[in-house]
Amino acid sequence: MKKNQVKIWVGCGIFCIAAVLLSVWYAVTFNDSRLVTPMDFGSYSFNTKDLPMILSISLTCVYALALFIHLFISVGKSKKNVAKTNMTRKVNPKLGFLGLLGFLGLAGFWTYSAMGAVFPFVFFLFFGFFGFFYEGKMSGIFMDERFRENVARAQLNTYKITFSITLIALVILCQGRLFGSLEYTLIATIIVLSLTLALGIFLPEYLLYRYDHDDQTEEGGE
Amino acid sequence: MAEFECRLKKYRQLKDLTQEQLAAQVGVRRETIMRLEKAQYNPSLKLAIDISRAVEAPIEEIFIFD
Repeated sequence: MKKNQVKIWVGCGIFCIAAVLLSVWYAVTFNDSRLVTPMDFGSYSFNTKDLPMILSISLTCVYALALFIHLFISVGKSKKNVAKTNMTRKVNPKLGFLGLLGFLGLAGFWTYSAMGAVFPFVFFLFFGFFGFFYEGKMSGIFMDERFRENVARAQLNTYKITFSITLIALVILCQGRLFGSLEYTLIATIIVLSLTLALGIFLPEYLLYRYDHDDQTEEGGE
Repeated sequence: MAEFECRLKKYRQLKDLTQEQLAAQVGVRRETIMRLEKAQYNPSLKLAIDISRAVEAPIEEIFIFD
């Protein structure tokens, strides 16, 4: 993506978030928190005061969908380019900060206690985005045979580690008696699986960087 | 990894090539040449042949396996 395009997408995202926040404030202040707090949609009847919430949520959904499609197309183009030039894709290491989104997973504790929803725990998966930091450091370099061997080695080690963690965690959690409650055990399972998948996203990039930069200090050009 | 002795540095210097130049000739990164010279990387047969042609030395004299 070009810088101008990124600015436009970020600007639209900020606009959508601002619209949602504003409409939530409006709904809480003037509309008895309709569509903000959980409600029974079976008996829902339209009210004109609901419009800001409906519009802002629709706008945000359209934005998210458009962003997803755009990113999907961009990734496809980038992969073609990588295959053509034999260079790693260009990634800004600052994208690693997206890993902070993983903390959204903590929202699961609140949503579970407030409305019994556990899906936000899946957001722990975003911790995997910290891998962009290392991918960014390795971006735009030529992929020779040693690089490809290192990629395969990093992926293999990642699979070994993540499968081991998953197996151990499942063996322990599947006893079902860890917290004295099956529900808590399932929540722990979601958390462990999300964190393990995040590790599976992060680790190949980190290991590849380590394999490529081992004894970097000894390197000397001639 | 199989242990071996690598005399690439000697032959490269005889041809008056830098690591960068040799890397460009055989289509790898300079870091790969550096590791080859330290015998820290076991090259593929194709790369070994390419290097042997680039430095104009027999392959078995560049990479010496016990």
